[in-house]
Amino acid sequence: MALSFQPVKPLLQTGTNAASRWFSYIGLGIGVLLLLCSIQMYINIQQLLGGDSPRKDGFDFISISKTITDETMGQLEKNLFTEPDIKEMEGKPFVDGVSPLLANNFRFQLSGGALVPFVSDFFVESLDDSFIDTVPPSFTWQPGDRLVPIIIASDFLEIYNVFAPGYGLPQISEATATTLGLQLICYRPDGSKETFRGRVVALSDRVNSIIVPKNFLNWANQQFGTTKEIRASRLYVKTKDANNPDFLSYLEQKHYKVNKDKTKFGRVKQVLQGIFSGLGIFGLLVVILALMLFSFYLQLMIARSKDNLQLLLVLGYSPDWLSKNVARRFIPVYILVVFFAVAFTQLMQWAFHHFAMFDREEISTPLHWSVFVTAGFLIALSLVTNYRMVRKLLYRMA
Amino acid sequence: MTITLQEVLPTYFDESRRQQSEVWGKQLVFNKGEYIKIVAPSGSGKSSLSHFLYGMRNEYNGQILYNDQKLHSFTVEDFARYRKDHISIVFQDLRLFPEQTVRENLELKRQLNPYHPAEKITEMAERLGIGSRLSVKSRICSYGEQQRVAIIRALLQPFDFLLLDEPFSHLDDNNSKKAMELMLEEAKARGAGIVFADLERIDFFPWTRLYHL
Repeated sequence: MALSFQPVKPLLQTGTNAASRWFSYIGLGIGVLLLLCSIQMYINIQQLLGGDSPRKDGFDFISISKTITDETMGQLEKNLFTEPDIKEMEGKPFVDGVSPLLANNFRFQLSGGALVPFVSDFFVESLDDSFIDTVPPSFTWQPGDRLVPIIIASDFLEIYNVFAPGYGLPQISEATATTLGLQLICYRPDGSKETFRGRVVALSDRVNSIIVPKNFLNWANQQFGTTKEIRASRLYVKTKDANNPDFLSYLEQKHYKVNKDKTKFGRVKQVLQGIFSGLGIFGLLVVILALMLFSFYLQLMIARSKDNLQLLLVLGYSPDWLSKNVARRFIPVYILVVFFAVAFTQLMQWAFHHFAMFDREEISTPLHWSVFVTAGFLIALSLVTNYRMVRKLLYRMA
Repeated sequence: MTITLQEVLPTYFDESRRQQSEVWGKQLVFNKGEYIKIVAPSGSGKSSLSHFLYGMRNEYNGQILYNDQKLHSFTVEDFARYRKDHISIVFQDLRLFPEQTVRENLELKRQLNPYHPAEKITEMAERLGIGSRLSVKSRICSYGEQQRVAIIRALLQPFDFLLLDEPFSHLDDNNSKKAMELMLEEAKARGAGIVFADLERIDFFPWTRLYHL
């Protein structure tokens, strides 16, 4: 017959300090609730802002340009990035890659063709493929090809659709934009021109420009251009953290201007995640406080029952068996406390998803698995800390 | 199964005790099945010896061995097993749970390593004249009754040695004899030895060896 804890139970005097026990249960419940809610909100933010973030493979891509002041106006060499500038930036530890946005150094016109009878002087730029968020396989060009693939900023399409009606031009959907037959007209210094067919192969949320394959622009700059030097008015920088203080102070010192728009999402996300991380840490502190309060309660209980426990040990009860059983007594309570905290977290998530987010698809009503794992971990943590403490006290007594 | 004393002397006793005593500072071996009587006047260390043998205190020089294993090297878990399976004791100061009933006190010991079924509690209590006190809180019982509870409690587990520390101090001769009879029966059933420490000789204890402490 297995040894029963039932006759031992009345020997533990618990009766008179029920209030401190209940306080610790409530404290534990609140702490666990805060912690679980923070984890779930942290995940919600990841899911909500993850898709729109300008991050690719965990990097921030930001475009920088030199600040044009009254003093530097009109002085190209002061407003453009030179090769030594690019080399210097590449060497910085907080920079994971730099690609100049090279522009055309010849006159360039864009025409909408037959469907959109619109011709305007324009610009094209090129950028390393790895810096562009949307690169379809068709974004290639070989010398001799008459068709040039183009990637345009989604913002440009939006701007065009704003002014098109005023000029009597048709508005274009994203799908139509990619089927348009455009004409790219390149002028030589002597005024002669050469026309290429252009086709929009993708729209980009990240790059505010009209991008053509790098080898096409290099070739065209050689063919039609006036200077051979690589000079870029914008650089694209790949970095682990666009808000790195070293990075920002370096940019400030060099008088470089950041396109803040593209890092704004990242910043909002960072701030929100910061808030919920803080809340999570606060929750964890409350959990620790509650566990401490409970351990004081246990110590008090053991001190009050010292004579009885000592006699049990004298009679031959194993201190390990006693510790396990004393700790086990609180399993149902702990499970109940954590269960209520999980239930409240689920309720909060449902309300957040339904009322605040209007059932958006990016997040889900059921809690993320990591919330359940944390809840399980907290139950285990409470039991292990109790067991270890009771065991320590009983071994000291034996 | 043996208990060996190797020149044991409490740290708080004078060295001269080694010469005066037949136990302190001597080399002794108690075998299972032997009945050892230790006669000791007050203050000669009866309770100390019982507590040392039971592993409750260790303020002594020399060694006590149970089956060649030094009690000094026992862990707390080893002592728990030792007290549960191999050695039982009747304390001079009784040591009952005051708020539990007599039956609960006895059951707490019995369930630890049940040598007897639960019904045996009633039978033994009847035999020692406390059958009607089983459901009474032990603090309500008289010293004589409590002493009988302590004696029964010691007999509910298996043991190789039974340690008795003035077990009849609160009992009259008639009740002492009944209790001794029961203890001898139980010791015989287990083939166990008894180490009986008391102020004076007691005629109804059939000792095989006698020592003066």
